[in-house]
Amino acid sequence: MIYADKDCGVIVTGATGKQGVFHISLMNSYAREVGGRGVVAGVTPGKGGQEVAGVPVFNSIREALREHDATVSVIFVPAAAAADSIMESASAGMSLAVAITEHIPVHDTMKAIAFAHLHDCAVIGPNCPGLLSPGAIKLGIMPVHLSMRGHVGVISRSGTLTYEIVDQLTRAGLGQSTIVGIGGDPVIGQTFTDVLRRFEEDDQTRAVVIIGEVGGSLEEEGAKSTDLPVAAYIAGVSAPPEKRMGHAGAIIEGGEGDARSKIERLQKMGVPVARRPSEIPRLIRELL
Amino acid sequence: MKLLEHEARKIFAEHGIPVPAGSVIRSPGELATVMDTLGDRIVLKAQVEVGGRGKKGGVLVADRSNAQELASRLFSMEIGGIPVREVLAVEYLDIRHEYYLSISVDRSRKCALILFSDQGGVDIESLARDRPDALRRAAIPVLMDRVPPFMIRDLLSGAPAEIGDVINRLYSVFCRKDALLAEINPLVMTPAGLYAADAKLVIDDNALRRQGIAQNRDLTEREREAEKHGFSYVELKGDIGVIGNGAGLTMATLDLIQYYDGSAANFLDVGGGADQERVMHAVRLVAADPSVRVIVVNLLGGITRCDEVARGIIAAGVSQPVIVRLAGTNEKEGREILRSSGYQMLDSMEEAVRAAVEATR
Repeated sequence: MIYADKDCGVIVTGATGKQGVFHISLMNSYAREVGGRGVVAGVTPGKGGQEVAGVPVFNSIREALREHDATVSVIFVPAAAAADSIMESASAGMSLAVAITEHIPVHDTMKAIAFAHLHDCAVIGPNCPGLLSPGAIKLGIMPVHLSMRGHVGVISRSGTLTYEIVDQLTRAGLGQSTIVGIGGDPVIGQTFTDVLRRFEEDDQTRAVVIIGEVGGSLEEEGAKSTDLPVAAYIAGVSAPPEKRMGHAGAIIEGGEGDARSKIERLQKMGVPVARRPSEIPRLIRELL
Repeated sequence: MKLLEHEARKIFAEHGIPVPAGSVIRSPGELATVMDTLGDRIVLKAQVEVGGRGKKGGVLVADRSNAQELASRLFSMEIGGIPVREVLAVEYLDIRHEYYLSISVDRSRKCALILFSDQGGVDIESLARDRPDALRRAAIPVLMDRVPPFMIRDLLSGAPAEIGDVINRLYSVFCRKDALLAEINPLVMTPAGLYAADAKLVIDDNALRRQGIAQNRDLTEREREAEKHGFSYVELKGDIGVIGNGAGLTMATLDLIQYYDGSAANFLDVGGGADQERVMHAVRLVAADPSVRVIVVNLLGGITRCDEVARGIIAAGVSQPVIVRLAGTNEKEGREILRSSGYQMLDSMEEAVRAAVEATR
């Protein structure tokens, strides 16, 4: 289990929006199931004093912290204000900010991540499903019923594709330690490299699945940085160049970041790469 | 969104980057008045956002005797499938040296990356491949409003010092315009000083609104229609229509189609909260492409209601067969609704994709 455990108090920003309310209740029903603390407060500027999904709402994170103890924020704030919410989280002393929000302009993200770094706050996302440590804590929007507690770490730039592969792992009897959706944007906070470093210090994790896609070279950089046994799947083998495949970061630019060359580089490092999602359980089993 | 050269160079000029004199013409007839101000020798440049435009005949040097004829030739051309509707006519520059300068987003360092070379004019990919030592880099920490002088000295290492001013001006364009890429290739030295002989600017699609850009021109008509519904849609060349939820899962579905020797007609990510209405619009949109012979729907989610999705597929009422993989809540009801209307619902994406490929054989 990495980044957070049962005892972490969680603050949700953008708490009074439709997504915020819905996912506070899902996160807290999971917290009740596993005996964790869950979401202790919500934040929406101007809506302090209300209550949503059984959780008190405050005007700011600092205000919430006067009455509740929390170290993690989960951000559902709309794109125009989400970067601000990341910076507010860092400034208020959160050690982790999980940004679910999609469509944040890249320049805003770069600034918010640099700001968070100055405050030693790790940022997961943006444009991500968050994190799930089965049996311990859920931060974000991942469905819990497909997962199972175990020893495989999962790091992914995707959302539903992660659920697909987690489902296949679970069906094969391979439980997960922590599943981290790092986000589909070109610039994200925690990269494969950062998450792998955490997994290295985690006794529970014995092997890691990297779920990557076209665009950039974060997958290769991550695989190169670690001694942990890693297997990978890279989406976008059939993606045409210069076209954005849904995710802002999933684009082959200037002849760089195409799936085939990514796969080749990973294989050269000795990382087994699945050609289909269904091959992942077998590859992981061979690594364990 | 990629800006056209004449749009990018206008922004560069507004930020004090020297550009050659020029104007945009929309027909060969407009050339006469333009030549009076630009002189006897000019360069005609087709305004299409296609890489390697020069090699494809889209950039021509002209003089008074043949300008009209060459302009007519450009206006009758299609470059990379795009008809030429605008031509930028610029003064001919007496080029003594060509440099390369760009600023882009460095995904690994999470900040702006400046690339500079005194071997400009060639495309950057081949420069990076063939002469990597001729390409100098500097990553600019995000919270800087100017490029530190030592970085400029390192980048230039001997190239004319006045380029430093252009670097800072381009950096300010990059920051203020929400750019993913700002590029001058080539930046040229002439007896009259430095000029940006070309201008390239790519704006972050997520910042178009605050940059005052109403419509993303990079999208086709059907892609724009999809955007209105909140779908991510990309047209491809095959015959299997694809609808998924989530970019990664949808991409993986396309890859699986290719793995089984099929060919996808599109990428369509319906996004979160796939309900009856959204699924209906998605199916209709994909089916409207005449090359689509079969549609595969691959939806996986904790909160996706399968009965709603099933009703959406039936409500779309399209003529092509629809093969469905659905996982979520109310799976049983969804399966029953689909089966009673004669649709195929399969348990895994693998089975669904194989059935779809089979259907096109």
